[in-house]
Amino acid sequence: MNSKVTNRIALSLIVLCAGIMAAILLALLGYILVNGVTSISWRFLTSESSTFLAGGGIKDQLWNSFYVLFLTMLLTVPIGVCGGIYLAEYAKPGKLTSFIRSCVEVLASLPSIVVGMFGMLLFVNYFQFRYSVLSGALALTVFNLPVIVRVTEDGFRALSRHQKEGGLALGMTHWHTIKKILLPAAFPSILTGVILSAGRVFGESAALLFTAGLSTPNLDFANWNPASPNSPLNMFRSAETLSVHIWAVNTNGIIPDVQTVANGSAAVLVICVLLFNLLARGVGKWIHQKLSGKA
Amino acid sequence: MIQLETKVANFTKKDITEKPVQIHVDKVNIYYGTNHAVKDISMPIHEKSITALIGPSGCGKSTFIRTINRMNDLIPSARCEGTIEYKGANILNPKIDVVQLRKAIGMVFQQPNPFPKSIRENIQLPLKFAGVRNKKELQEITEDCLKYVGLWDEVKDRLDRSATGLSGGQQQRLCIARALALKPQVILLDEPTSALDPVSSSKIEELLLQLKEDYTVVIVTHNMQQAARIADYTAFFYQGELVEFGFTSDLFNHPEKKSTADYISGRFG
Repeated sequence: MNSKVTNRIALSLIVLCAGIMAAILLALLGYILVNGVTSISWRFLTSESSTFLAGGGIKDQLWNSFYVLFLTMLLTVPIGVCGGIYLAEYAKPGKLTSFIRSCVEVLASLPSIVVGMFGMLLFVNYFQFRYSVLSGALALTVFNLPVIVRVTEDGFRALSRHQKEGGLALGMTHWHTIKKILLPAAFPSILTGVILSAGRVFGESAALLFTAGLSTPNLDFANWNPASPNSPLNMFRSAETLSVHIWAVNTNGIIPDVQTVANGSAAVLVICVLLFNLLARGVGKWIHQKLSGKA
Repeated sequence: MIQLETKVANFTKKDITEKPVQIHVDKVNIYYGTNHAVKDISMPIHEKSITALIGPSGCGKSTFIRTINRMNDLIPSARCEGTIEYKGANILNPKIDVVQLRKAIGMVFQQPNPFPKSIRENIQLPLKFAGVRNKKELQEITEDCLKYVGLWDEVKDRLDRSATGLSGGQQQRLCIARALALKPQVILLDEPTSALDPVSSSKIEELLLQLKEDYTVVIVTHNMQQAARIADYTAFFYQGELVEFGFTSDLFNHPEKKSTADYISGRFG
């Protein structure tokens, strides 16, 4: 077999694999959307779910998903980015550093149900946060933090060392070089990582079953006082998210329109993640341009 | 070899008024782990002159130049001994303020490394960190430096565009400009033209000849003709040792050591 033939075979295999991947993705998306889009209506999005009657909506679940996502990101992004910067820029190669790095790796590969059980033991029971938005966000922080650390460290390592040398050679301190040159330069790759992990967090269910709970109090969307028990902003109330809702209605739902609600919710979930990706990419491009000057 | 001789022939020892020594290098040894990369270097660096460091790859010339503004601190395994005296202090002293040192001794690298920011920011970012806050002053320095390196007319209308959109030669001149903005006394250049095309290289060479009127210039170069064309003093490094140091004309026309003669006549390297 000559090298030209080998080359063709390799190329065909790679194209085939890419094609299979894209086909699976499209089929899955198409299936979810085709089945679900018909169930989505303004009423579906803006009405409360019902426990046993048909025609329930997903207003609270949708809100909860975004609220938990927001809190999780608020906790993980600053801590994770700082951790990643530490590992990439400050940590000296040695036992402690490689220990920290293996901890991050182990943490990143924990099954989410284990994170959920851990969250229940620590946040729900030990800290007495009960089934709450806060417990859920903290459990997801455990789940998401290593991803952000990894993404940041990789983003920094992918930068050319010439940038860092340039900053230092111009009489800037290490921290100033990181803050003004390296972090903006690594921003696009960090943002991509954050978006991807946000999608994972938004769709996570197992880690939330035992932390954020399976129910939501009757939320009063006119009451924005975080301390009141039925306020959407209250962090200490239980909060069923969209993906938990899909699981719940499918496994133990007694409403007659289980299929419609589940399909609609799944479609909304997928659409949210897609929109979120597109939006964040747009914003990322805009910020990057702001930081780096026009091309 | 003959060509080289004609090029430097009109440039003899007598024509150079010897400038005072600004940096005294005394018995400098540099190690990477157990690898003894630079061995017992002693040489003067004269102010407002161009000193070229030449030698084959891996001879320690880059390692040595990076020690003069302590850029080797970035490499954890690097270790230096000896003294490099500048303004009465030893640069190699661990207690020295490297931030101040690097402001006084600037550096330009082989690969043009503008920050992925606007042209204006590339010059003003280090200036702001150095404490220049006045907008008018920042603007003036930016303009002066860009004019000095001959870049002003090319970029004055696009100061807010990204510096990464400039050509390689323009990027390198921008890197020199932003180093000059900090008003250093010494400029170190580590093979500043080896990534550039011949036209851009000759522009940089002209700029270096202009620079030595106001600054002390130390340049590492692979290109012997470049050293012969622009340097007042040349140091030949080989296998971590300083084989020969002297006036460029002497070193190229009458090398004292055999390995110097072999290298400059192209027999190795």
